[in-house]
Order: sequence, then structure tokens, then C-alpha cells
Amino acid sequence: MKLEEQVPRNALVWIIGTQFFLLLPHLSRIPWWVLVLYVATAVWRSMVYTGRWSFPGGYVKTSLTIVCFGGVALSYGTLIGLEPTVALLLIAYSLKLIELANQRDAYMVIFIAYFVCLTEFLFSQELLITLYMIVAVLLNTTSLVALHQPGQDRFTSSTIRRAGSMMLQALPLMILLFVVFPRIGPLWNVPLKSHAARSGMSDFMKPGDVANLSLSDEVAFRVQFEGEVPARRELYWRGLVLSKLDDGAWRSLRWRDVPGDQRRLAEPELVGDYSDYSIIMEPTQQNWLYALPYATTRDRGIIRSNDFRLVSPVEVQDQKRYQVRSWLEVPLEDDISDWRRGVDTSLPELQNPQTRELALQMLAEADGDPQRYANAVLEMFRDQAFFYTLRPPLLQGENPVDQFLFGTRRGFCEHYASAFTWLMRFAGIPARVVAGYQGGEINPVNGTVIVHQFDAHAWNEIWLQGQGWVRMDPTFAIAPARIEFGLEQALAEEGSFLAETPLSPLRYRNIGWVNNLRLQLDAINYRWQLFVISYDQDQRYQILNRLLGSVGQTQLVFLVAGAWALLLVPVIITMVWRNRGPRLDAATRLYLDFCRRLRRAGFERSGHEAPAAFAQRVAADRPAWAEELTAITRCYENLAYGGSSDPEALDELKRRVRTFRA
Amino acid sequence: MVSAALSESWQRYRERAQRRWRRWLNRRIPPAKKVTLDQKRIFIFPTRIGFFFLFTLLVMLVAAINYQNNMSFALTFLLINIFVVTVLHTYGNLAGLTVHAVRASPVFAGQRAEFEIMVSRASRRQYFGLHFDWLKQDSAIINLQDRQEQHIKLYLRTERRGWYKPERLRLDTVYPLGMLRAWTWLDLDIRALVYPRPLASGDLPGVSSDQPDGMAEPVPGSDDFYGLRDYQRGDSLRHVFWKSVAKGQPLQSKHYTAYADRSVWLDWNLFEGLPPEQRLSHLCYWVLEFDRRNEEYGLRLPGVTLEPDSGENHRLTALRQLALWGSPDGNSAVTSMRAAA
Repeated sequence: MKLEEQVPRNALVWIIGTQFFLLLPHLSRIPWWVLVLYVATAVWRSMVYTGRWSFPGGYVKTSLTIVCFGGVALSYGTLIGLEPTVALLLIAYSLKLIELANQRDAYMVIFIAYFVCLTEFLFSQELLITLYMIVAVLLNTTSLVALHQPGQDRFTSSTIRRAGSMMLQALPLMILLFVVFPRIGPLWNVPLKSHAARSGMSDFMKPGDVANLSLSDEVAFRVQFEGEVPARRELYWRGLVLSKLDDGAWRSLRWRDVPGDQRRLAEPELVGDYSDYSIIMEPTQQNWLYALPYATTRDRGIIRSNDFRLVSPVEVQDQKRYQVRSWLEVPLEDDISDWRRGVDTSLPELQNPQTRELALQMLAEADGDPQRYANAVLEMFRDQAFFYTLRPPLLQGENPVDQFLFGTRRGFCEHYASAFTWLMRFAGIPARVVAGYQGGEINPVNGTVIVHQFDAHAWNEIWLQGQGWVRMDPTFAIAPARIEFGLEQALAEEGSFLAETPLSPLRYRNIGWVNNLRLQLDAINYRWQLFVISYDQDQRYQILNRLLGSVGQTQLVFLVAGAWALLLVPVIITMVWRNRGPRLDAATRLYLDFCRRLRRAGFERSGHEAPAAFAQRVAADRPAWAEELTAITRCYENLAYGGSSDPEALDELKRRVRTFRA
Repeated sequence: MVSAALSESWQRYRERAQRRWRRWLNRRIPPAKKVTLDQKRIFIFPTRIGFFFLFTLLVMLVAAINYQNNMSFALTFLLINIFVVTVLHTYGNLAGLTVHAVRASPVFAGQRAEFEIMVSRASRRQYFGLHFDWLKQDSAIINLQDRQEQHIKLYLRTERRGWYKPERLRLDTVYPLGMLRAWTWLDLDIRALVYPRPLASGDLPGVSSDQPDGMAEPVPGSDDFYGLRDYQRGDSLRHVFWKSVAKGQPLQSKHYTAYADRSVWLDWNLFEGLPPEQRLSHLCYWVLEFDRRNEEYGLRLPGVTLEPDSGENHRLTALRQLALWGSPDGNSAVTSMRAAA
């Protein structure tokens, strides 16, 4: 093989290094054995390099490919969808390594790597991931540079510096293109992320689900209020309304559960104060959005459901930004329909008999007044020995609520919310579980409210005549600190807050500089999401209008082309002017003009012939010109060699040359 | 008929285009012993891989649009602009280099002539993957990292005797990314002297010598035995002094005075009736043969006479005459030779 087609050792090392670097952020969403494959192919290729093994034969390669395809199909149960597609791409990226023999193969691997960079962004566009991917692109570009440094047997920093400087030079124009490139809608449907990647709440709540969510310190969404942030105990971010009991779990009503005439939202009358805010939500792969009650929005493509929530018609695949106006004092659903009353009071007849007895007894004690009855239940939770814990005992058997209320008495918010609903429904009061988040952390740096997964919460709404749906939070009765200060304080005694993620910076909130750093980073992240990740056609129009006034598409094309031209000015100028030789002084130009005239008359001056000698030669042939020839030559020699820069002499030369007729 | 006419006119057109191209190149990059590469002399265009990369970018752009993914847009735009920036870097990997003609060694027609060139840089900038390609016959790829200059030897086939001036040398590079190729065509004003292809002719027909009875091939016993000398390759086995071999001594051959004394004239007319090139080839063979035997010989060509002599310089002069005989350069070679003598 020719030297220029070989893959230098350095390039091979860079390529393999890039592979592992790119695999790393994908690891959580691909089968574990892909990592094994990466190690195996890297070892194999190194062995080929050292000459101990040879490239695998076609038979081996084919069977490996088939096995890997089968493996992906088995691991995911399908080959359709974004994750299996990315897994296949990563596998191809790795398998290509063991047939990387010449430069062409190396190009393939490197170009696939650029594409793998892109796939990572489909899952996360966070600032840290973006920084990580910048390093990945740098490594990959370095492999490409190393590929063109033939015969290099030692590593030099020049390789990576070259790649880095190219990236830096490309950066300004990248930003320009990013801003001006139109954001049109999708051209066709593409494989979407699978539902396995769903995060946050689900619309199916078993005891223990919210507690599980509380173990995570991930951000669920960030909120920026336009005015003042409402009091913490008002921050009930409604996400789901769970009305139906299903196998001991609460779930929301599906579309088909709701009769057609009930699907429409009964718009309440807007009274009292409102609060404006915008939310940037992390992707959940779910449809519902979080907001304070009663939420209205002017964003296109957001639906308001009949239980006063905001719903996105498409699953939230990427970070989503939406603007909300919440009317905190508006009563929800003054008038309850029979259908809804039926749904929200139904219970299995035979379960939890003790609870039923308790409910009827307490209702009697409250003289049948729903409000007094509900308060009595909350008082019971507060005054009796109920405990708020992240580590409740498991509830088993036919009558879990009985077991909870009369036995264990230890639970997390979903246990209390569930028990409360049972107690209300046994008393014939419409009641439901609401799932979402409660509270949030105010970042003093930029004033955003950061809502984490551990702020996940479940509470209740009961319907009272004249008041509509009223929020009831049994957790507040048992552990007021949870609502007033947050989960950490509520669990201070137990010490179970984020106990399973010892490295979470949130655990070190008491250390000043750690907390400061975390909040600063979060503020940067928020800006990143606001201005970069959610940059869209509207923002584009705004920016372009502000910077350039109203411009058309054609002008933008010219703008980009102009910027490119500007970048390439050194080359372009010289390309346009390259026909010109070195710049000559005026005298020489005139003399060369004179020589051209003589050439037309058949006298060619050869390269080494001095002007005087040339003049003599021509004069010998054409004595008639002799006088003019010598005059011009003398003039030129004086100017060129005599050191004279007399403008008159130049004028004389000009005149003589112009009037010379050969 | 029509196709023949067409192909003929196509041929004519191509030749004309090539001529025009060469003329244009000669103006743009005039022949010189030393060429410094600058914008005037460097061409640049995307490679196949470059176009493939652009296609990959198109796919990435479509993915970014379909997923409405801003970071994917950013990545695609970064790569597009890296491609644009590569123009400067690829160009920079030739600019500032100077290519010098060093020497061309003479060869016999049909052999490959060695051309030595040198490439040097003015700055401390590192150059990588400089690919020299000469007429697709020989190529070399070098880096200029620590050293300021590097010599390269390239070998080109020769066919006819005389001065061999190869077509332009192509120097190209795809560094750093392989997506663009910058190249230049260099005429280093370098030529190699090509001697005629030596052609054995059996015995020398009718050796022309100062002594009319002179013979090129001495018959053993007819001349005086002069002495022994170490056997040299090519000595006739008949002259080997076998007695000493039998005694275990190194091979020696008997040496006859005729070789040393008689000066032979290698004459154009010895090969009466043969075409000129063949005559020159035979003469070339005999020049080498006599030089190997360390005998004196003279050379007589129409218009050229070289007095009998022996030795390295004499051989080179004789070969040069044979190489250049009949060409305009040949006469000047002779005159300069005489002037030197």
C-alpha cells in the first residue's frame, strides 16, 4: 500500500480514543454488551497493528454483524425507535474499526463519529453535554488531522493544536449560521425516543412511586416568574389528576374514560390576582405539563384539559419552554357534573371495611358537613401518631388502607393522599389525588425557581359546594416542614434525603461555596436553555429584526456568503489577482510597455539582455529609431538604476513611450 | 467514418487545449531552478472525500431540521465552517515552500533517470503530507517538521538519447483534513542527459585503428604477452591464467600489450548501412567495453572527433557526444568541450 493510503499509528490511537469518548455518554441508554464490543474491537485492531493478529475474515465480520443486530433487537424488543437506531449506529462505528485498513476506511469511521456526536444531542443538549461534545469533536478532528500526517511515529501537540485552531476559526461563522438559519418544521417523521426513557411522574401511582422519585436530584423544570414568586406553600405544580383506582394504584382518566360531552373544559370566571411565569421543562417523554392552578396560556399547541391542567399534544421530547398565567384564587368547577361526581366518589365496595367505618363515624361526628369532616381527618393525621418517612413499611394484603391507618401509620405523601381519598369517598365527597411537584428552590443568582425530582408530591382535591375543587394536603398536616421548607428539612431527623446519591451537590447546600457554585451553574444552564436550546423561528425573527431591520431570505444568504468570503479574503484576493506578477514600479511598467511595442515590431528582448544592449541591437536594425530608443532607455536607466525619483523624469519617460511608434 | 473524423477532431481539440494549458502554465509558473510557492502558483479544489463530507453534512442538517435540535444545528454549522476554514489551512500547507532542482544523473536510454530535488521552508511552520508526483511514474510523500529542508529523489523512465526534460512535476497536499487538495505544477528547468542504449554488436566489424592491421580482439599468441593482472569481470575465460588458479591463488588473467598500446578508433563508418540510432547504440556499447578494458579509444562521428584517450573523463565526454550527436545542443557541447580542453 502506498504511504499516503496508510493509516498512521497516531491516527489509529486518536480514532480508538474518540470511540470510547463518544460511547461514554451513550452508555446509559444502550445494552451493556456494546461496551464489551468496543473493548474487543479496540483490542483486535491493536493486535492487527502490532502484527500479532490479522484482520477478521468476511465470515467473522458477517456473523458478528448479524449477532449484534440480533442482540439489539433482543435488548430493545424492536429495531424501530431512536435508541435501537443509535445502538446500531454505535455498533457499526465499532465494527468498522476491525476492518479499518486504509485511509478510506478511516474517513468512514471519522465521519460516522461526527454523526454519533449529533445523536447524543438528540438525547441531551445540556451545557455540560455540549461542552463534552465539543471535546469529542476536537478529538475526532484531531484523528482526521493525524490521518494526514504520514509516517509520524511520535505524538506532537501540533496535531491537536491544528484541530483546535480550525475549530476556533470556524466558531464565529458557526454562530452566524446558527442565528440566521431558518428553523423550519420537520421535513418528515423521524424515529422518536422510546417510552423507556420516560422520566418524572407517571400517570399511574402506586404507593412508593413518589418516594422513588424523591431519591433523584435531577431537575424537573425551572420557572421564571415575571413578578414576585408566590409563597412556597402556594407552589403546588399540578401535573396529573388521578381519579381512578386500578389494582391498588391511582391513575388518571384516559381519553376514552371521559364521555364526549364531558371533555370540554368549563372555563371558570377569572377573578383575583394572577401570576405570569415561563417554564422550561426537561424532557419527560410524556404529554402533561406542570403549572400552578388555574393555568392559562397563550402558547400555540398547548391544550387545557377539563381537569384544569396543561397538556401538550405531542410528548415532550426535548426541553420545552412555555408561558403561563395562573389565577391562584379562581375556584375550579363551581358546578360538578353527575358523571364527575360519580367518578370521583366511586370505590370498590368490599375493600378496607375499617376505613369505611371510620369515615362514616367521623362524618357523623362532623354533622355531615364535608368541610368540617375533612378538617377532622387532617386533625387526626396531625394529632395521632402518624409519621412522615421516605422508608415506609410495605403494605400488603386485601385492605392496604386499613393496614396503613390502623397498623403501620408510617408513609410518604402518596400514602396519605391515597388514604385521604378513601376517607373522603367513603363519605361521599368527590375527591381525587393530584400528582405533581411542590415547592422548589429559588436561585438567588437569577431568581428562577428550580424544581427537582425530589420535590415530587401527591396531594388531594375535594369538591365542596360553592368552592369547587379545594386543595387538601394531608402531608402538610403530618409534616408541615415538607411544605414550608422542603423535603430536606422534613426528613432531617431520618437523614434519608438523597441518601443514595452521596455525590449530589444538593446534599452540600450547607457548604457555602459549593452551594454558590451549584446555583451559579444552574443560572448559566437556565440561560443556555432559554437562549440557545429553545432558540426558534420567533426568536430568530426578533434578533434579525433588531440587528438588521427587516431582511429577506436572499439577503441572509448573501450575508453568510459574504462572511465566508471575508474569512477567505487572503486566498480570494490573491486568487483574483494572481494573474498579476509582482508589483512593479511605474518606470518599469512604462519600460515593459515600450518593450511590448517593440515586440509587435518583431524585436523581442531576451531575459538577460540589458536595456542598453537591447536598444543597440534594435537600433542596428532600425537606425531611424535610434534616437528615440536611446532616449527612452537612458530615461529608464536613470529612473531604475540611477536612484532618481524625479517626477519630471518619469513624465518624460511616459511621454516618450506613449509617442513612440514602432 | 464519422466517428473516426470525430475522434480525430477531438484529438486535435485536446492537443490544442493541452498546448494552451501548457502555455498558460508557463506564463503562470515559469520554468525556474527554484520555485517558491505562493498564491499565484497554488490551485485548490475539494477532493472526493470533501464532497462526501459535504454530503454527510447535508444528512446531518436534515437530521437537525427533523429533530428541531439546536445543538445538532450548531454541530452541523461548526463542521461546515471547519470545511471552509480548511481552504486556508490546506493552502497554507504549500504556501511558503521552495522547491529547488538539485541535479539529474545521466542514464542510458530505457533506464530510469534519477532527479534530485530539494524542498525547503522559509519559516518554522510544519508541513505535512507533501506529495510529489512526477508523471505518475514516481512519487514521494514527505513531512517537513524539524528540518528546514529535505532532499527527494524521483526516478523517471527515459526512452530516447539526448536531453530528457520531463513534463511538470506535480506537488499536492490534502493536509490537514483531506477534504481539499491544494496543488501546483512545477517546471524545475531540470534535464537529464540520456546516453544511447548500449547495443552489443558481436565483434567489432573491421576495427579502424591507427595501425591498418589493428584488431580489437587480440588473438592469443599473436601479440606479446605483457603480464598478469587481477581478473576482472568480463575478461575472457581464455585469458585466465589457470595455472595460478590450480595453485589456489586468486583468478588472474593474462594481459597482452595490444590492449594497452593500440588505440582504437570507434568510427561512425564501422556500421555502414545501419540506421544512425543503431550506430550510436553500438558505439556506445564499445565505448563502455573499451573503457572497461581500460584501453584507449577515439570516437569519430560526422562532425565530431575525439582523440583516443582513456579514463573516466574521456568516457563521459564520449558518451555525451553520443547522446547529443545531431541535436542543436550537441554542437555547443562539443565547442564547450573543446574550449575546456
